[in-house]
Amino acid sequence: AVAAPVEIKFSHVVAENTPKGQMAIKFKEIVDERLAGKVEVKVFPNSQLFGDNKVLEAMLLGDVQMAAPSLSKFQKYTKKLQIFDLPFLFKDMEAVEKFQNSEDGQKLLGSLQKKGLVGLGYLHNGMKQLSASQPLKVPADASGKKFRIMTSDVLQAQFEAVEAVPLKKPFSEVFTLLQTKAIDGQENTWSNIYSKKFFEVQPYITESNHGVLDYLVVTSAEFWMGLDDGLKAEIKKALDEAIKHGNGIAAQKASADKQQIIDSKRSEVLELTDAERAQWVTAMKPVWKKFEDQIGADLIKAAEASNN
Amino acid sequence: MVRNLVTKLEEAFLSLLLVSMTLLVFAEVVARFGFNAGIHWAQEVTLLLAAWFVLFGASYGVKVGAHIGVDVFVKLMPHNTHRFITLVAVGLCLVYCGLFLYGSWIYLSKMKMIGIELEDLPVPKWIPMSILVIGFVLLIVRFLQLGWKVVTDQADGFHFADEAEESMELAKELEETALATEPKEGANQVKKEGDK
Amino acid sequence: MTIAVLFITLFGCMLIGMPIAIALGLSSVTTILLFSNDSLASIALKLFEATSEHYTLLAIPFFILSSAFLSTGGVAKRLINFAVDTVGHIKGGLAMASVMACMLFAAVSGSSPATVAAIGTIVIAGMVRSGYPQSFAAGVIANAGTLGILIPPSIVMLVYAAATEVSASRMFMAGFIPGLMMGLILMIAIYIVARIKGLPSQPFPGFKALAKSGLIALGGLMLIIIVLGSIYGGIASPTEAAAVAAVYGYFIAVMGYRDIGPMKGVPWCKEGENFVTAALRNAVQMLWAFPKSITDPEVRKVILDASKVSMMLLFIIANAMLFAHVLTTERIPHTIAETIIAWGLPAWGFLIVMNILLLIAGNFMEPSAILLIMAPILFPIATQLGIDPIHLGIIMVVNMEIGMLTPPVGLNLFVTAGITGQNMVWVIKACLPWLCLLLGFLILITYVPQISLFLPEYIDHLNGY
Ligand code: NA
Ligand code: NA
Repeated sequence: AVAAPVEIKFSHVVAENTPKGQMAIKFKEIVDERLAGKVEVKVFPNSQLFGDNKVLEAMLLGDVQMAAPSLSKFQKYTKKLQIFDLPFLFKDMEAVEKFQNSEDGQKLLGSLQKKGLVGLGYLHNGMKQLSASQPLKVPADASGKKFRIMTSDVLQAQFEAVEAVPLKKPFSEVFTLLQTKAIDGQENTWSNIYSKKFFEVQPYITESNHGVLDYLVVTSAEFWMGLDDGLKAEIKKALDEAIKHGNGIAAQKASADKQQIIDSKRSEVLELTDAERAQWVTAMKPVWKKFEDQIGADLIKAAEASNN
Repeated sequence: MVRNLVTKLEEAFLSLLLVSMTLLVFAEVVARFGFNAGIHWAQEVTLLLAAWFVLFGASYGVKVGAHIGVDVFVKLMPHNTHRFITLVAVGLCLVYCGLFLYGSWIYLSKMKMIGIELEDLPVPKWIPMSILVIGFVLLIVRFLQLGWKVVTDQADGFHFADEAEESMELAKELEETALATEPKEGANQVKKEGDK
Repeated sequence: MTIAVLFITLFGCMLIGMPIAIALGLSSVTTILLFSNDSLASIALKLFEATSEHYTLLAIPFFILSSAFLSTGGVAKRLINFAVDTVGHIKGGLAMASVMACMLFAAVSGSSPATVAAIGTIVIAGMVRSGYPQSFAAGVIANAGTLGILIPPSIVMLVYAAATEVSASRMFMAGFIPGLMMGLILMIAIYIVARIKGLPSQPFPGFKALAKSGLIALGGLMLIIIVLGSIYGGIASPTEAAAVAAVYGYFIAVMGYRDIGPMKGVPWCKEGENFVTAALRNAVQMLWAFPKSITDPEVRKVILDASKVSMMLLFIIANAMLFAHVLTTERIPHTIAETIIAWGLPAWGFLIVMNILLLIAGNFMEPSAILLIMAPILFPIATQLGIDPIHLGIIMVVNMEIGMLTPPVGLNLFVTAGITGQNMVWVIKACLPWLCLLLGFLILITYVPQISLFLPEYIDHLNGY
């Protein structure tokens, strides 16, 4: 008799037309083509199975085999991945990519093992920008303003460093809170600002590129170790190709969405002069020091080196 | 005596959960609007209180008949048939609880083994999550009690909450106050003008 | 096959009188165990997620708490006074005032039967004394009482928002005009009947009295201003506004109106007391009233009552989310939608079928339970047919209003029978002409989406969309 194919349930929280959604579909297509009968991928978009907060737990229970939450979601599983939240560590996506592909970056994928998870690869969303109801040119402009953040100690410290007020609010409530001006601003990538229509309710967007918002494609250690090495290698290869495909779309989308936002004239995009940018860096860089013990000074240094 | 004390404790705890949730969210609004500040752990704690409120409250709801259901059909049956059907229904409720208790136990053990903390507080996640197991154990106890009552013919159905009945309390209260005091307000004004 | 197992277990469990929450949960678990390989642990995780990851759902307990504080006889009396002073002098004025009082009470309470009980107890007797036939009075109130769930804030709308993930604030805004319109339709009908039958009017009390009763009533009516004001004025999200409303409800009931709690019967100003001593005395007493509230039996009862209802609803919702989870993963609404579209059923035809389905369901079940079961099924179908989600929500709410007036399970009928002391057949007959009016209104709401959509779209327009 023929053994039943290995089932991979890929659960994510966004629509199918996003880079992450496209990456998942691509992965399924490649697997269908090359590993037909051996592996079967089922993609569940739009939080159909689980939300981002519970998907990792479901994975540990063995009910989901793959997911791609944002890197900030892992702070309770490993402190090391907090490195990607540090402000002004990477100057652009090229530097991010370079670090992720470096030996240190790849070693980080294994940092979740103790908690039963295995990182399989990084997937891009893009560099984060600051949007607000008032123009933000220098750190003093952000002082006293309320910014929505994802749950992340680093992001909290980042806004506290410029004397702003970080507020944790569920993503689903952000639009309403921005629209009613109950909160003043938020940080996000071009594609999120565009797809969630934040630009319609935030008259100013500062092109700060102050941080990165990336995802980690992850699986459970139990599942992964249970596969034979040949199959593991083939799945990883398929995934790497799918991620490459997804990252290509993400890069295209970031610049296209930025252009759409500018063309809409709903929001003014502010560019920072070198002097202004230096002020932000000076204000926010102490955050690195604060998390140095948790992340590791060497690792931060290695990441910084990827800018050159 | 003991039964009374247990009820009092259950009621106090349930009310406390609701009030704390309300005040926590209220405090967040005041902090943000009045003091331009945030309470960074408020959201997580509010949501966990909500989980406790629901999962703890469900069993209390069985005891006092606060759940709702469709009982127009079973009430048409002869008394003993009604009792029999209710026993079947209670049995199915116990199946439900059993399945969830089993699932919750595995989930909880796994979380305890992995040992992850809450996002905003330095508390192991499995501790607040233990309400899953506690809640279903309590629910089983309450359904067993109900089943016993049906067997011994002290009850024949689930005794569902009746919004109409509860609203009638309001009507009774109004009638009583209208009779007891000579009000300066509403009822009397209507009466006066009606009289002439 | 999956569809059959899911629905047969669900309806079977409900029919034998199981709590709806557990019927939903058990049918979902059974289906999952039979047709997918999810573990029980992940189903438990899903239930925990449903109770602990939905911040917007918390608006439900908070609103229930706020209306529990304000659904008292005292508040009802004040609103009736104001309504009588406003429209009592028109022909049929007392009946119109009763409708207006129902609308006002609807605006502070999320519940329809409570509206009938609170307003009906006082005004039906008053109307009979003024020469209205009792059946006329009872019919008007039973109908106007249904506005409790159409005029915001409304628990039923929040449940719909939870089931379909549409915005609760938009639902509230959408209910506003239909609610006012239905009230107005009732009043016009009353005016016509009053002219034909020569029903009495009240003398106009003068503007001073009107202003006074208006001011007193404002204490309760501030609730809706606070809720909608803080959502649209940029202070809070619906969940937060609901929490603010709950705290306000406590203040106005315990400290302001002093109908319940430790300040009950304490006058604002004693006879012969000067302003300064009165202010000081009140301040001290109010501060002392906070700790006393904790042990006060009336305050505790209000909170416990609200807890019971909230817990029950949230437990149903959590189980309904499991149910919806099964629906989506098994693509059941999708299959039904495809079948319907294959029949070539147009949007208007679907709306007729949907209305009939909901009206039948309304005969046996309570509004929130119906919405939680039906919305996840109907919503994807309606979206495919191009029906606006907000419009769909309002249609469903109006259907639920009608369900409260149809036997055998019609909450407003029960309450009306209770307060008039008449039997059900009499009550049903009394409500019938007004029920026809409501059915006409349903048709209007169903086929003129602008009535529901105008206000939310206008607000979007103001915001520049
Ligand atoms: Na209402
Ligand atoms: Na009905």
